[in-house]
Amino acid sequence: MKAEPQALSGGVKKRKKGKFVQYFKQFDLQLMVIPGLLFILVFNYIPMYGVLMSFQDYNIFEGMMKSEWVGLKHFSMFFNDPRFVEIMRNTIVLSLFKILICFPAPILLALMLNEIKNMAFKRTVQTVTYLPHFLSWVIVAGFAMSMLSTDNGSLNMALEKLNIIDEPINFLSKPEYFWTIIVTTNLWKTIGFNSIVFMAAIAGVSPQLYEAASLDGASRFKQMFLVTIPSIMPIIVIFMILEIGNLLNAGFEDLLLLGDAAILRSVSDVIDTYVYRVGIGSARYSYATAIGLFKAVISLGLLTLANYLARRSGNSLW
Amino acid sequence: MKKKLLLLFVLMLTVAGVLAACGDNESTGSDDTKDKNEENNGDDGSAEEDGDVFVLGEEPLDITMFGNYDWYTMPQWGADVATEWIKENKKVNISSIDSGGNAEQKLTTMIVSGELPDFIWTDRGATVERLREGGQLVALDPYLDKYTNLRDWFGEQGINMLRSEDGKLYQFPNWYNSQPFGNAGYVVNKGIYEELGSPSLETTEDLYEYLKLVKENYPDVVPFETDIDGQGINVLYSAFAEGESPANINNVAVPNGDKLSSIFTDEAYVESLKYVSKLFRERLMTQDALTQDADMVREKVSSGQIAVYAGASPTDYARSGHYHLQEQDPDGGYFMIWPIHEEGLDKNEIYPGSYNMMGWNVSVITKSAEDPEKVFAFLDWLTGPEGQSSLIFGPEGEYWDGFNDQGLPQFTEKYYEDAEGLAKVEEDTVNFQWNGNSNFLDTAKAEFELTLPEDKQNWTTQWQHTITWETQYDATQYLNISPLPESEEGIIQQRIGEIFEEARAQAVYAQSDEEVEKIMQNAEKSAQDVGYEKLLEFQTAKWQENLSTLEE
Repeated sequence: MKAEPQALSGGVKKRKKGKFVQYFKQFDLQLMVIPGLLFILVFNYIPMYGVLMSFQDYNIFEGMMKSEWVGLKHFSMFFNDPRFVEIMRNTIVLSLFKILICFPAPILLALMLNEIKNMAFKRTVQTVTYLPHFLSWVIVAGFAMSMLSTDNGSLNMALEKLNIIDEPINFLSKPEYFWTIIVTTNLWKTIGFNSIVFMAAIAGVSPQLYEAASLDGASRFKQMFLVTIPSIMPIIVIFMILEIGNLLNAGFEDLLLLGDAAILRSVSDVIDTYVYRVGIGSARYSYATAIGLFKAVISLGLLTLANYLARRSGNSLW
Repeated sequence: MKKKLLLLFVLMLTVAGVLAACGDNESTGSDDTKDKNEENNGDDGSAEEDGDVFVLGEEPLDITMFGNYDWYTMPQWGADVATEWIKENKKVNISSIDSGGNAEQKLTTMIVSGELPDFIWTDRGATVERLREGGQLVALDPYLDKYTNLRDWFGEQGINMLRSEDGKLYQFPNWYNSQPFGNAGYVVNKGIYEELGSPSLETTEDLYEYLKLVKENYPDVVPFETDIDGQGINVLYSAFAEGESPANINNVAVPNGDKLSSIFTDEAYVESLKYVSKLFRERLMTQDALTQDADMVREKVSSGQIAVYAGASPTDYARSGHYHLQEQDPDGGYFMIWPIHEEGLDKNEIYPGSYNMMGWNVSVITKSAEDPEKVFAFLDWLTGPEGQSSLIFGPEGEYWDGFNDQGLPQFTEKYYEDAEGLAKVEEDTVNFQWNGNSNFLDTAKAEFELTLPEDKQNWTTQWQHTITWETQYDATQYLNISPLPESEEGIIQQRIGEIFEEARAQAVYAQSDEEVEKIMQNAEKSAQDVGYEKLLEFQTAKWQENLSTLEE
């Protein structure tokens, strides 16, 4: 009994000393970390004092110090807003659609590309699919609108010429089409670029595993399920955790550009577009900050929860 | 080891330097504004004491300005003939702070850092009121008697309407006008109209029959085009409401005796929506009415793919479309018709658009201005006869020479002969026209237009003189009836605005008249739930204040 604490404290001392010495040994390397830490401190942590605004009636002429404190007024105003339920529903539904469809799609694409033996074809497909990533949403929305509009819209023209429909369909102003349009355009824009990281992960899988599997008589499909997917699982899980942490970021520019019509607002209004329109648009900074803070807190919770669940499978982020 | 120490030393120096620089900037920034504010207070006092009038050109004057619009970029001052002349002869130099495409954010940054320009060019309303409440604006009243162009041309009544709650004037108006102006109305495609036998187009029933005829004969043509945001839908409201205008739609309130009341229960408005819904359902109007952008409209109008086109200013596209269509067919083009009315209403009481005496927007002088009186002196000169003539018609001696006994510029022969050069002067200075004086310019230009034969007259001017100016409604009484966005009424207004927009869109897409009625009833209920009544009371009070100011 007596010996144990001694041993324990001795161990701690040793380890402490070890760390300190280790740190000094890497002095030059550690110096290089300092700018990064400073950057995060200056641009991510110091501005956080701005959240105080959400508990004030912030007046830009008076500044933070002189503005009146109002407690949770702006939070309760948001929760009592007649649109609150609708906005939360849209945010979560759109996010879930994006997680269910836009998240697995690049993985599938990467797996499919991995099976292609013709390098020229593979490269072409890769380039063509990741190019849209570099187009801004304004351009993508412009494409979508000129394709889907009723007068002179190319999709409607094509469908009419093929005698599939008699009269043009009003794709852009029917709420029932909106989610499909958003998910499709998002998929088109992100699938190629997001698949790059999975392609890289697949490239890192040891060829020996495939050899061993084929010697055991595994078909191409079996190899994919038993070798490739388990090998890239840690990457998938990490991205999944981040994706879940982003649940309340249902998109912003895409919704603002494609879903701004009043008829679509009941399906297109999410937290971010609401904050932009109501908070920033009419200079209600405190209200906007309060909603932003609410969103951040929920996101942090979701991220922690997802990480906790993932840790049980051994692939957590931290 | 020495190397490492050196590295550490350099790094620490850099960090310290960066931090110090940041700190410095901040402190000098705030000191500057303090100094300036103090100076200003002193100046204000002295300006009232001494009666010295500042004459432009006596000493150099540097002015900074900010145009509070995303689209606004001030061209270089002195790069065109008009401002070059002003720069040389009046010794005024103007530089601008660019909005960088995000004016709201730029303005907020300038407010927070206390570095406002001498004057800000912006819309009336929330921005101005916010700056005023924050004590950033200079009251213009002390200067009105020393520099009299604004008072002479804008008038005492107008000045009173522009005064803020504290009874002082802070805003310098732009394109103020006492005559009706505006272009809202209906444009008709001449080629199609004549081929279909030129039927009568006076009542809503006439229009409906004509649009059906168009759809049967021209399947690829949009029978009724409504411009962006469904402007034409608002124009159609005027057909059902005698003595009212679409200004009611922007206010989301309809006058009813001496009160403003709900638009959702207004019979004329619901009738107009039923009519629109019918046109939409039967595909007699553009199916992209609420989603299309300006380019799509322009394309349809300039290629003649529309039969009837209504909007808040349809003349902009129709004018170039007219000349374009005439190139292909000299008998084609566009013409305007007298506003449509519902059977039984007086066609002379139909107003498809509105205007107000205050014109478009305003300039406000900030307390950051070193000498606000000089800034005012410049703005006042610019809105006066010499300033307006120099800016719009170029330096004296070219297109105009001296003033006649009515105080209007006397145009030279070059004015009649070199229309292109003259248009260039005006075009080059469009973004310097911060306080255009329509009363002065319109009178001056009208004289000239009248001397031209009809086919030489500008397409737009022709219709302005014969139709649109006569059919615009004076909505000066509804100015500034909106609450500040962050006030209680402002929050209600924002919510009402959303309910209204959504209901309007749903009504357009409705499948039957009964559905339109139901949508409006539901909207009325939701509106009442968020406090519509309270907003209407607020707006009524403001409106009544305006009416009594206007009667004075």
